[in-house]
Amino acid sequence: MNKIGIIIRREYLTRVRKKSFLVMTFLGPILIASLWIIPFFLAQNSETQSKILVVDETLVETNGARTSLYLDKFKNNKELSFEYSYDIAEAQNQLTEGKYDAVLEIVKSNDMPPIKCFLFYSDNEPSLSSQEAIRSQLTNIFKDHVLTYDYGMNEADLKWFNDPKIGFYSKDIRSGKDSYKEIKTALGTISGFLIYMFIFMFGAQVMKSVSEEKTNRIVEVLVSSIKPIQLLMGKIVALAFVGLTQFVLWVLLSVVLIFGLQSFYPQTFSEPQKENITINERVISVDKFETASSASAEVNQIVQGLFSINYFLVIAMFLFYFMAGYFLYASLFGAVGALMDVDTDGQQFTLPITIPLIIAMVCFPIIINDPSGVVAFWLSIIPLTSPMIMMMRIPFGVPFWEIALSMSLMIVFILGAMWLAAKIYKTGILMYGKNITYKEIWKWFKYKN
Amino acid sequence: MIIFSTKEVSKTYANHKALDKVSIDVEQGTVFGLLGPNGAGKTTLIRIINQITAPDEGEISFMGEKLKLEHVHQIGYLPEERGLYKKMKVGEQAIYLAELKGIKKSDAKKRLEYWFNKFDILNWWDRKVEELSKGMQQKVQFITTILHEPKLLIFDEPFSGFDPINANLLKEEILNLKDKGATVIFSTHNMESVEALCDSIALINKSRKILDGKVDEIKQRFKKNEFEIVIPRQNDIKDMLIDEVELIESSYSNQTQVSKLKIPKGLNAGLLSNILSRTDLISYKEILPSMNEIFIETVSNE
Repeated sequence: MNKIGIIIRREYLTRVRKKSFLVMTFLGPILIASLWIIPFFLAQNSETQSKILVVDETLVETNGARTSLYLDKFKNNKELSFEYSYDIAEAQNQLTEGKYDAVLEIVKSNDMPPIKCFLFYSDNEPSLSSQEAIRSQLTNIFKDHVLTYDYGMNEADLKWFNDPKIGFYSKDIRSGKDSYKEIKTALGTISGFLIYMFIFMFGAQVMKSVSEEKTNRIVEVLVSSIKPIQLLMGKIVALAFVGLTQFVLWVLLSVVLIFGLQSFYPQTFSEPQKENITINERVISVDKFETASSASAEVNQIVQGLFSINYFLVIAMFLFYFMAGYFLYASLFGAVGALMDVDTDGQQFTLPITIPLIIAMVCFPIIINDPSGVVAFWLSIIPLTSPMIMMMRIPFGVPFWEIALSMSLMIVFILGAMWLAAKIYKTGILMYGKNITYKEIWKWFKYKN
Repeated sequence: MIIFSTKEVSKTYANHKALDKVSIDVEQGTVFGLLGPNGAGKTTLIRIINQITAPDEGEISFMGEKLKLEHVHQIGYLPEERGLYKKMKVGEQAIYLAELKGIKKSDAKKRLEYWFNKFDILNWWDRKVEELSKGMQQKVQFITTILHEPKLLIFDEPFSGFDPINANLLKEEILNLKDKGATVIFSTHNMESVEALCDSIALINKSRKILDGKVDEIKQRFKKNEFEIVIPRQNDIKDMLIDEVELIESSYSNQTQVSKLKIPKGLNAGLLSNILSRTDLISYKEILPSMNEIFIETVSNE
C-alpha cells in the first residue's frame, strides 16, 4: 500500500473511533437545528411595526355600490398596521417613496380560490413571520366571506376549505423579482458557519495532532520512514475525510431526527386533518384552519424560496470552499503545530491564523445587510476569509468574475500555504526544547532541502 | 566490504556549521561507534543517514549506491528521544510502523509474534502504550526498530532508560543482529558499552571528525608503553629497574607489589630478564588506554 495511504488510514481510524467524534456526531444535528430556529425566533421579536397598504382589486358590486371584501378586515397588531387603497399605481409610487413598508395587491383569479396576492416591497423584504401573518389573515377573511355569504358550497369549495391555499407571491418592486431574502440569508449563514466550524474544529485537530507527534517524539521515527510532507499531507487528507464522514452522518442523523419527531408528534407535522364540514360546524372549523393553514403555508413559502436559488451553484461552491478553506487553514495549523513544544503553546503563532477566521465571523451581519457591498466584496476575494464570506454571498447572486477571481486566488493561496507549511513543518518538528521565534523561522527558509 | 560511507559531508544551519567535511566508512557486519561530546554534530549526521535532513555538500553511499529514498526500508532507526503514540495499542502500533517500512501487514504480524514471544511480552499486544512502564515502552520501540530486518541499524543512546537486566538483554540482541550480518551504527556517551560492542569508531568534535579507525588499532595508537608488573612482596621493584624505565606508581597488597611502569620500546626484554634473575614474576601485562581516556584526551587536546 502506498505510504500516504497507510498514514491516512491510521489517522482516519484513530479519530473516527474516538469518543469525542461520537459526541460531536450527535451534538452536531442539534446544534444545526438550533441554528435554524434562532434566526426565525429573533425575527419574530422584531420591535418595529410594518406599515402595509392593501390594494384590493376584487371589487364586488352590491346594489350598485362598489364594496370590497377586504376593506378594514385586516387586524392591526404589534407587528403590522394596515391601510387601504384601490389604486395600485399610486400605491407603488408611495411604496418607492418609502411611505409604506409593503403593498399587498389582491387580484381576481379564475381558479379556486378566486384571488391571488402579491406583496411588493422596496428596501427590505418583510420578515417571513410578517408575510405569514398577512397570509393567514387573508385566508381567514376569505373563508369568513365564503361561510357568511355563500351557503351553496360545491365540492371544489369544500376541498379548498380543507386545505386552503392562496397564491401568495412576494416581489421586489425595483427588480420585479421574487426575493426570499430570509431563506437566502439562512442558507448563506448556515453554509458559511458550517465552513467556519469545520475549519476551526478540524484545523485545530491537525495542529494538535502535529504537536502531539512532536512532543512525544514519535515524529523522528516516522520521518525516517516517510517524507515529512507525506506525513503532513496524509494527516490533512485524513482529517478532511473525518470531517466529511461527520458531515454525512450529521445529514443522515438530521433526517432521522426529523422523521423521528414526525412519528412522535404527528399532529405538529402532518397535513391538516380532512373533515367534511357542514354548516353547523363552521365556527369551530375556522379556528382549526387558522393554525393548520399557517403551518402548511410556511412550508410552501420555504419551498418556493428554495426553488429561486441556483442550487447547483450553491452546492458546487459549498463543496469547493468547504474543502479549499479547510486545506488552506489545515496547512497553516499544521505548520503552527510543528512550532509548538512541551513548554510553549505556540499562542503567538495561532493568533495570526485565527484572526482572519474571527474577522469573517464578526462580519457576518455586515454581509447579510449588504451582500454586494465593499466589505463583502473584499472579504470574499481575500482567500483567508473568502470561504466563509463568499458562501454567504452566493445565494444572493455574485457576478461570475468575482467567483472566478476568488476561486483562483484561493488555489494560489492553498499552494502557497502548503509550500510554507512544508518548510516550517520539516524543520519545526525536529526542533526540541528551543524557543522558536519568527526571526528563527525566517532563517529556515534559507535552508537547503 | 564497506556498506555505508560518507565523503566530506557538510551541513550548515543558519548560524552554525553542524558538520564540516565528515567522512566515515562503515564495514558490513560490524558495530560502528559514533562518539563525540554533546552538540558535536552526531545527531545531524544520524539524521542525514536517515534522510531526515539532507547534507549541503558531500556524498553518501549505501550498499554501493548513492543513498536514495528506497533505502529507508533497509535502515532501522532508534532515536535518542524515544516516543510512540500513547493512546494506540502496542500491536497495532508496531504493525503500523512496520507497514511504513514497507512490510506487509500479515508479515509484520508474524514477525511481531516471534519477537513478542522472545521478549515474553505477548500479553501486551492489546494494551495501550501509555499503560506500559518506560522500560516496557523501550522494549516495544526496540522491536519496532528491527522488525523490518534492516541491513543497517542506527541506535542513538540505546541504553538510556534501560535497567541493567534489560540493557544486557539489549546488548545481546545487538550482538545477535551483528552475527546475522546486520551492520550497526551506534551513538553513545557510554564508553563502557563502546568497549563491549564496537569494532570501529569515529570521534566527532565541534562538527569535525577528529579520530576514526578500528578500536584495537586506536588503542595501539594511543598506548603509552605502560605496563603492569606484579611481583612478590618481599622484593621491591625499585631495586630491579634499569635506566630509562620510569616507575609511575606502585602499591602493596598482602602478598604482592603491583607497579605501573613506563618502558620505552625495546627495553622490555632487558628489564624482564633483570627482574626474573632476582625474583618471581607473578604477572606482566601492557596497559592499553580505555576508550574513555582516549575520548577525553583527544577532545581536550583539540
